[in-house]
Amino acid sequence: MEDRTTEVVFKKETVGKLLSLNFKDEKTKVTGDAVVLMAEMLKIFVEEAARRCQKQAEVENCDVVDIEHFEKILPQLLLDF
Amino acid sequence: MDEEFSHHQRLKAALHFTVGRLCEDIAGSSRKKFSKELVAAIAETTFRQCDIFAKDLEAFARHAKRTTVNSEDVKLVARRSTALYNYITRKSEELASTNQEQKERRRKNTGKKKENGQSGAGTSGNVDCDMT
Repeated sequence: MEDRTTEVVFKKETVGKLLSLNFKDEKTKVTGDAVVLMAEMLKIFVEEAARRCQKQAEVENCDVVDIEHFEKILPQLLLDF
Repeated sequence: MDEEFSHHQRLKAALHFTVGRLCEDIAGSSRKKFSKELVAAIAETTFRQCDIFAKDLEAFARHAKRTTVNSEDVKLVARRSTALYNYITRKSEELASTNQEQKERRRKNTGKKKENGQSGAGTSGNVDCDMT
């Protein structure tokens, strides 16, 4: 249940710059569609991380979802991506 | 040098902001709160994951003898999880069909301009996505 009417997404500009920043060759470019798809990928990555942390906190009966939960789910998260 | 540094920081800040909002949405449905440190950790990890994604994308494009990364490269990056791969493939097809519709509309408008005696500029900026 979201109380926002607009969906939270990564801005195309941000994603584009994040990718360009890490290209080894300065000539490498990205198509508009690819940027949109990568924005989706990143969103899913963040959501997965957040949900897995939440679940971990539930399993441990903690009230706050904290870094220790993140540390536990991180290895599998990285392997899954 | 300072400009590069602040550009870097600004990007990270933008990323952190969106990550925060995404976490808020997910936390919103439960009583548990996400700690600030956790949100920062997720943001930092996402930033580093971007590095890996970017380098993979670049390698895939270069392997295909291209300098421009396209949707096919993104699909490859999503290959490890079947569900993710299918989702990205679907999105890619949606985008491709939207682009197609936009092209049709532009072609019609260009046609009208030609009728009015103006020279219509051909739009060929979009890279076509392969729908495999």
